[in-house]
Amino acid sequence: MSKHRSLYIVASYCFFMMILNSSCKHKEGEYHNVTDKIEMESKNYHGVDLSSELFLEDIEMIEITEGEHTFLIPERKGKIKGYACTECHSKPLPKMKGNEFKKAHWDLKIVHANKETMNCITCHNSQNMDELTSITGKSINLNNSYKLCSQCHTKQFEDWKGGAHGKRIGGWAPPRASMTCVNCHNPHQPAFDKKWPARFNTQKIKERK
Amino acid sequence: MSNSNKKWFSLNLNSSTKQTSASCGCGNTAGDCHSKEEPELSEQEFLAAAVDASIGEETHKDGFEQVFDVKMDRRSAFKKLTASLLIGAGAVSTSCSTLAGDDSKEKAQIDWEEQFKGNYKLMSDDEKKATVNRLVRSYQLRTGKTISMSSQNAHKDVLYGYAFNISKCQGYMDCVTACVEENNQDRNSQMQYIRIHEMKDGKGFNFNEADDNYYHEVPAEGHFYMGTQCFHCDNPPCIEVCPVQATWREDDGLVVVDYDWCVGCRYCMAACPYDGRRFNWSKPEVPENEVNKNQHYLGNRMRKKGVVEKCTFCVQRSRAGKNPACVEACPTGARIFGNLLDPNSTIRWVLENKKVFRLKEDLGTEPKFWYFMD
Repeated sequence: MSKHRSLYIVASYCFFMMILNSSCKHKEGEYHNVTDKIEMESKNYHGVDLSSELFLEDIEMIEITEGEHTFLIPERKGKIKGYACTECHSKPLPKMKGNEFKKAHWDLKIVHANKETMNCITCHNSQNMDELTSITGKSINLNNSYKLCSQCHTKQFEDWKGGAHGKRIGGWAPPRASMTCVNCHNPHQPAFDKKWPARFNTQKIKERK
Repeated sequence: MSNSNKKWFSLNLNSSTKQTSASCGCGNTAGDCHSKEEPELSEQEFLAAAVDASIGEETHKDGFEQVFDVKMDRRSAFKKLTASLLIGAGAVSTSCSTLAGDDSKEKAQIDWEEQFKGNYKLMSDDEKKATVNRLVRSYQLRTGKTISMSSQNAHKDVLYGYAFNISKCQGYMDCVTACVEENNQDRNSQMQYIRIHEMKDGKGFNFNEADDNYYHEVPAEGHFYMGTQCFHCDNPPCIEVCPVQATWREDDGLVVVDYDWCVGCRYCMAACPYDGRRFNWSKPEVPENEVNKNQHYLGNRMRKKGVVEKCTFCVQRSRAGKNPACVEACPTGARIFGNLLDPNSTIRWVLENKKVFRLKEDLGTEPKFWYFMD
């Protein structure tokens, strides 16, 4: 008898819990905080029906994979007016030095690290002017110039890969497209200039008098 | 008079059938919409109907009963009050006048429908479309210009979030300019949703001493910049205090305002701990050639005097897959926007890998706007 009874109690308890569980189904305001909400609701994320592809149609992009991140960056070589460099730099750089050749890039000022650390050939491959060079002398494609920057700017590189550094192109939806280093920073003078703010609110001045 | 399957009172002001069917909330173009078959009203019938609309069943009761015996919720009260006003002022003269042109009749019809439409939050998709169509037509009749207006609902599996890099912001204020141009904010009062606070290094986040209206070369020595706007809280105090539920949180996390339902009490402005909302003290004006014609009902459509507005994360852009105007305008990449529910989104990477914080986190408002540093 008591066995039946305990069984009955257990069964009714289970039933109760089922009702309780189903009544605690997730509705508005049932998460403790937004972080919980994000964690819970992104568990069965199946993607969105929006895409950034439409906004990227006019821009030539290349896909790169760095670590676990795969995304698009703008193609670079086609944007450089003087490319290919070998059209002028037909010989390796040491052979082109001297007076019999025209002076080139004389107006280029380098404000990037100090002179002891960097000069032109820290980045430019003196043997093949169409390519860049790493610190160890490995050739780097101009389209992948971020590989050059990331040799020193490792923290920025990490942030850029994840998406905390560098601006997005197109929309917020996948596929992700981000600007690469040289789209914002002039590699010869990478710091941003000071400038005047885009606007000044004269009405605010009046209101706060 | 009124259609039984409509949520609000409607009146056919004798305009052409095309507009009547377009303005009917049932959205049925096939022709079993009631208002089409309604006979035209004579002047007497019209006045009887007007009286009926304004005082209705109270006509047979004495004064005491009229006041105390009426079951009246806020909406019907407003409905009846404004019905009598509008009928008295504009609609009657237009519909009864033989001189009035088709355009003014259509205008009156639209105004009528717009006056008595329901809260956007409660509308069906067809009703949303109908009100958007009316607004577009009304703008066309009044200015001769065509705008496009969307009533796009929240997308599934989307929760918008924003991150702001304090180390990157240089105080250029390009975001503010882009925002004003995108969202058709009043040019006379120079309304701005975004504030960029110039703060002294080493003083912490001291908003009292910060300057949000600087004009000198930036970034200034010894200062950093911090932008604020509506944070689209997940637990927003502003929507709790609204007496008419004219502001609410959408499924994708955007906190929006129905400008046509807002009564301008400004409780929400008092409730917002972040100074995220703005009020139209005067009629907002934007030069015709500067009006952004890509609009959304809940976003940058033209507002009127006496309503509250605020940042909507550019709902007209974000629900089309674009980044908000401020994100797109920022030359430093300090602004990051994305879908919090997408585990591979950049905003999620920032939240999981950077040391992020929010303003006044202890209030429990749960802003979806995080700050971080390099």
